[in-house]
Amino acid sequence: MTNNGFQHGNAAGMRIHVLPTKAFKTFAISLYAGVPLDESTVTSTALAPFVLRRGTATYPETTQFRERLEELYGAGFGFDIYKRGDYQIVQFRMDTINDSFVQSKESLLGESFAFLGEVLTRPLLEDGSFRASYVATERETVRKKLEAIVNDKMRYAAERCIEEMCRQEPYRLHPLGQRSDLDGITPASLYESYSAWLDGAILDLYVVGDTTPEEVEKLVLRHFGRSHKQVEAYASNFKPVTVSEVRTVEEKLDVNQGKLNMGLRTSITYSDDKYASALMYNGILGGYPHSKLFVNVREKESLAYYASSRYDGHKGIGTIQSGIETQNYDKAVDIIRKQLEELKAGNISDLELNQTKAMIRNLLSEIQDSAFELISFDFNRQLSGKDRSAQELLAQVDSTGAEDVKAAAGTFQLDTIYFLTGKGE
Amino acid sequence: MEQIHYDKLQETLYYEVMDNGLKVYVLPKPAFKKTYATFATKYGSVDNHFKVAGGDETTVPDGIAHFLEHKMFEEPEGDIFATFASNGASANAFTSFDQTVYLFSATENIETNLSTLVDFVQRPYFTDENVEKEKGIIGQEINMYADNPDWRVYFGLIEAMYSKHPVHIDIAGTIESIATITKETLYTCYNSFYHPSNMLLFVVGGVEPEKVFELVRSNQAAKSYDKQGEITRIFAEEPVQVSQKHKESRLAVSMPKCLFGFKEKQDGLSGAAAVRRDLTTKLMLDLLLGSSTALYQKLYDEELISDSFGHEFNSSPQYAFSAIGGDTKDPDLLLKRIKEEINAVLASGFAEKDFERARKKKIGGYLRMLNSPESIAHEFTRYQFRGGDLFEVLPVYESITLDEVNARLRAHVDWEQLSVSLVVSP
Repeated sequence: MTNNGFQHGNAAGMRIHVLPTKAFKTFAISLYAGVPLDESTVTSTALAPFVLRRGTATYPETTQFRERLEELYGAGFGFDIYKRGDYQIVQFRMDTINDSFVQSKESLLGESFAFLGEVLTRPLLEDGSFRASYVATERETVRKKLEAIVNDKMRYAAERCIEEMCRQEPYRLHPLGQRSDLDGITPASLYESYSAWLDGAILDLYVVGDTTPEEVEKLVLRHFGRSHKQVEAYASNFKPVTVSEVRTVEEKLDVNQGKLNMGLRTSITYSDDKYASALMYNGILGGYPHSKLFVNVREKESLAYYASSRYDGHKGIGTIQSGIETQNYDKAVDIIRKQLEELKAGNISDLELNQTKAMIRNLLSEIQDSAFELISFDFNRQLSGKDRSAQELLAQVDSTGAEDVKAAAGTFQLDTIYFLTGKGE
Repeated sequence: MEQIHYDKLQETLYYEVMDNGLKVYVLPKPAFKKTYATFATKYGSVDNHFKVAGGDETTVPDGIAHFLEHKMFEEPEGDIFATFASNGASANAFTSFDQTVYLFSATENIETNLSTLVDFVQRPYFTDENVEKEKGIIGQEINMYADNPDWRVYFGLIEAMYSKHPVHIDIAGTIESIATITKETLYTCYNSFYHPSNMLLFVVGGVEPEKVFELVRSNQAAKSYDKQGEITRIFAEEPVQVSQKHKESRLAVSMPKCLFGFKEKQDGLSGAAAVRRDLTTKLMLDLLLGSSTALYQKLYDEELISDSFGHEFNSSPQYAFSAIGGDTKDPDLLLKRIKEEINAVLASGFAEKDFERARKKKIGGYLRMLNSPESIAHEFTRYQFRGGDLFEVLPVYESITLDEVNARLRAHVDWEQLSVSLVVSP
């Protein structure tokens, strides 16, 4: 691992992060735009990129827009919208092959920048606002996506658990927004909120590939150049939550398998010095097939096919998920709570410690082999304001002992048990 | 140890066939930190009726290849995941229609992990007790898929098309079919399909090829295998026509899911001819239905399709079919409109400039795939088992002609061969 290798600078109101490397056959570009998660803007922020992908000043029709991407040897273009801590992040991605593998007349990196810059800053406008038909169709698209969450029961149960647990915080909001807001959004109001979003968002632009910071800066100035905004950084507003009692929520739907989800609160976040201990805690609890949850819920009791845990260091929460027969609910909850107690009591073997360290080491080392993973790791540093390289994190994981994991376990408090169960049985 | 250079791709592949018939391939990626290895047997859910030369003809319960995959992870001393974890390797496995693949990914202890992979797959350990225990776990896996509308609509389509060929049987089987599995039936399948001559080891990443071959050579030399006769897979004759034109399942969904496709006549193609047919068909489907086509945009603007709309083509020497569709508020109207639009393209054929653009997109997608060790290993093995070469795909793409794609369109789109699968709310 080289020290994450990114070279950092500023241009056109954005932070620019470039990693020159010949390891990949592609150029990977990511643009992150983050704003505080807020009920009044969450839906318009989510809808805007859907409209932006329909047409630009140069490629007004959607077929022209997509044909252009195909001409660039099927350049990958997409965006994701998600929550990180109490921020709503829109991530645009482009993935273009390095020209040296094909006979291309154009510089594919340059053309990709031209394309991305255009998508973001030169959308198709009619009478000073977005094209009405695009807004109408994409409003329906977002509505359908929100309605479709229930189709995937595992994901639905996971999101419902978070929503219940964080019902008094902005984090309850779905990153795609609220259905009830959609009807009120007009082409004019959306264009206004898009402009405000672009002016107010914290922007981080990443490039990984066979290029240089100088080349990237030139391309940025040429294709994103009109912005004069101040470069900003993320600010954490994390406040630890104390749980007074465990809340249980049951919901009935037409399902074959019950989905059992739990939410936990911890005071340890990504920027904390104890972050490595929390990672170890999650790994021993349920991050891997050697973990307590997999071994006890699945292998010993045959109660489930999946039983695992996750830790979100940006929000300071842990989650547990499993799919079980509905009549096994009490048994499964008991076994899972027992594993939480075991960790709190410090019942952690050297084998568990060493296996988990080896798995985390592998995960952190593998980051280097994927351009987008490298980008994502560095963005976590920007987001948390914590300047800690992968090697430093690795060293902290390696020096974590059972006592440290026990101490971390003490900060994880069970907050919510959510159970999605069948109807009428 | 032999090697092949692929100049255009800037890759070199090393390979060797072991004395017992095991094929080993190594693709060094010096810039990569991780190593990814797959150990695959040409044995999947469709291989439920077979005969090994010198043995009896055998029929086994549905879902047994997948059950066997689960059980391989258990060793007398415990779960093999623990051994991989101690050496920092992330291990997994999957079963498809025609292969079972065991794999790990690691950045350290590569030789130990490679030995663990080869050894655990070559050391079956089944007991009455551990077989019974697994039925509960796989039962929950089956229930999980039963709640998944995408899986249900996909399998519904295959069931609608095929009545005899076992491709229509769910890979995990059913709760009832796995109840009949015993350690004896597992050993029968293991001994028939896990002979080294039916298997392929692929290693990609920051490794030195000669070291890998040395390790595998001595590992295999220490194990004794009798020479195995040829495996004959027996398939009942599949009618040319689809089994059902229309099939519906009920599951709570926000909007109906509609998947349709064309069942092709059995053509027995394999090797380079099958690869060319597959690539041409996929290119054709993209030209017909891809997100940059006029057809796609019209249906999207009519709010009949969403971002979930997609297409794929699946084939083996005994079956070949397309699967097209996604979420729609009105399946009947969608099918009517699709038919009108496809018939218009059938009449006109594809345009040269669209064809060139689609070809570029495919080439770009192929090159981007080569960044991913996982994709390389999976795709390479899949191609090999069918007698093809993943690294010869670029010249095929470059030589496909517009006439060929137009001919493929007319051969594939036969409305008599259409099946439709729906998942709708109860």
